[in-house]
This record gives sequence, structure tokens and C-alpha cells, in this order.
Amino acid sequence: MKTILKISVVAITLALMLIADLPFLPVQLVPEADAILGVRRRTARRTAVVVGSTASAQTAAAQQQTAAAPQQAAAPQQAAAVAPPPAAAGKPLPLGTVVSALPAGCTSTPVGGVEYYYGGGNFYRAVYQGNNLVYVTAKPQ
Amino acid sequence: MRLLNFKTAAALVAIAGIALFAIVSIEVQAQATAVDPAATQILKRMTEYLASLQKFSVHTQNTLEDVLDSGHRVDFDVSANVIISRPNKLKAERSGDLINQIFYYDGKTLTLYNPSDKVYAREPVTGTIEEMLDFARESLGLIVPVADLVYRNAFPLLMQDVTFAAVVGKSVINGVKCDHLLFSRPGVDFQVWVANGSKPLPFKYVVTDTGTPALMSITTVMSDWKTSPTVADSQFVFVSPKGAKQITFMPL
Repeated sequence: MKTILKISVVAITLALMLIADLPFLPVQLVPEADAILGVRRRTARRTAVVVGSTASAQTAAAQQQTAAAPQQAAAPQQAAAVAPPPAAAGKPLPLGTVVSALPAGCTSTPVGGVEYYYGGGNFYRAVYQGNNLVYVTAKPQ
Repeated sequence: MRLLNFKTAAALVAIAGIALFAIVSIEVQAQATAVDPAATQILKRMTEYLASLQKFSVHTQNTLEDVLDSGHRVDFDVSANVIISRPNKLKAERSGDLINQIFYYDGKTLTLYNPSDKVYAREPVTGTIEEMLDFARESLGLIVPVADLVYRNAFPLLMQDVTFAAVVGKSVINGVKCDHLLFSRPGVDFQVWVANGSKPLPFKYVVTDTGTPALMSITTVMSDWKTSPTVADSQFVFVSPKGAKQITFMPL
């Protein structure tokens, strides 16, 4: 009798756990279980990062497209976030600083066949960072 | 008492086994019924048809949904004209809110040109369009529009990790009767509209990021498909316009 009771208690508990874990019920024993497993995070990263690695050839079009979105959409945000440095002779920025727009009143000067822009105490050079045209502080040579 | 314990243990193991079996069979059943072979078959036919095209050109209209830092919902539109000549020539011209750019690949060199800024950068590359696209993405961080239409092994790539596939119905995109397909995989849902008839071309894509509650999408509408356009090799060769300045790609 005791055994039967024990078994049935365990069986009922198991059954309850099963039901609670079924996807169509709003109740879940472990909410966000996939987030805990890192699935969601991994997916988010995969879609956020521009598809890289050799596996990228095997990455689906869908992902490539989603990858393009944050990257492309990032442009205006970047423009807002990276404020152009002050035009007035301020502190020179460290070499290699990337800005999305030249400070106002920059003058262009070709040095050794390369176009440099001077403004606010810094020399800049235009480069492509991925698809985006950006300006990097540089030392003309 | 010891005997009883043994019996209890045996019974418990049996119950656990049955429970496990039940879970597994529920999941297997769910997966088996969720992927409709009719949907995957249409997708396969589309990718095979695209891969068989030696030359094609298409116009695309992309809409990228976004939320500004201020919290406002905004759409960015980019349109592109793409010409492909397999195995190793591509030209893609993009213009829109965020970008105004022409991408050239003539089989020897890839060039990125911003007409409004009058700057361009070049990089020597050889190989097929697919190899060039891989290089551009991995080494330069470049995204080339409709690159996904070029890959010959698109079908397994698209079907990777797909847990749900269905034919939603029929609809008409820009006057073309299409099958509307829906696919889902962890983090991404995508819909494709594939033309009926002897030329199963895609006419619309919607890719939704299901990893965030905002469910942002990228929509691409394709039009003006030409499956045997007249192309000259010179079209794919970049000739530096007067006054344009050469710059470099920032290495990744």
C-alpha cells in the first residue's frame, strides 16, 4: 500500500511537470528557458554581427539580410552618437579616431597624392569602414 | 523492506522512461507536422531556378524598420539595381536614406564608389561572385545587396535550423501571382513570395527578427526581373570619374 502511494505520488508529480512544460500552456516551470540556454542570445549575436567566418557561406540569406539591417540602420545613429569634434582648435584627437562626419569648416589638402582634411587641430583621411564612409584622424606623410 | 525499495526503484525508472518517451514523441510529432513539404518544395524550385540563371538583373526596394534613440519608429528605404553575369561579374547600385553607392566586380577587382562624395576604394580579388562576396564580407565587412540571390547553395542555407514551414496562400505582388511561404527558425522568421509558372522568381522577402520583442523586419520587394539581359563586360568595369578620389578600405 505504501509503495503504491509512493509510486502514484511520483507519477503524478512527473505528469504535472510534463503538463506544466507543454508549450501551449502559459505556465512554464522555466520561463525564458531558451534564453538561459543562450539560444536567443546566440541568435541575436548571429543576426547582429555581419556574417563572418567560413561558415558564413553556409549562413542563410535570411541571416545575411538581417545582418544588413542593424549595420545599415546603425549609420544615422552613429552620426548622432559620434558628434563632430569642435571646429575651433581644440585638443587634438588620438590618431586613428573614427568620426562619421568631418568637423565644420574643414579644408582639404592633398599630401603625397592622398586627400587630407584639416579642421579643429586634426588631420582626417576618408576611408570605408565596411560600406560606410568615415573619417579617421591621421598624420599626413 | 529492501525488496520493496527495489520494486519502488524499478517502478520509478519505468515511469521516468515512459515520461521521457512521451516528451520526445510529442516533440518529434510537432516537428514532423510543422514543416510543410509543399512550402520547402516551392523554395527549392526557386533557388534551383536562380542558380541556373547565367545572367540576370533585378530592381529591389528595401525597407528597414528601426527605432530611433528617441523611441520613434522609423523606416529607411534603399533601392538597388543589380546585374549579375556568372561566373564572375556583378554590379550593384544602391541609393536611399542611408546609402548612395555603386559596387563593381569585374572578375579582377572589386570597387566601391560613393558618387555623392566622389570617393572610391578598390581591392584586387579573383574568383567567382560567391568567392568575392565571401571575401568582401569577411575581410572588408562589406554587404552587397541581394547577395543571397547569387549563392548557388541557397536552399540548404535557407533551410538550416528551420522548425516551421507553411504555404500561407496565394497573393499578387506587382501584378505577379505568387505563392506566399512562411518559414521560421530560432530568432528569425522569413516570408518569401515566389512567382507561379515556369519562372519561379522571388518577388518579395520579409525577414523578421524574432529575437527581440520589437519584431523588426526588413522587407525587400523585387521587380523588373530580367533573366537574359544584354550585358557588356565593360558595364562591370569601374572607370574613375573626373575628380573622384581613391581612398582605402579599413581592414577589419
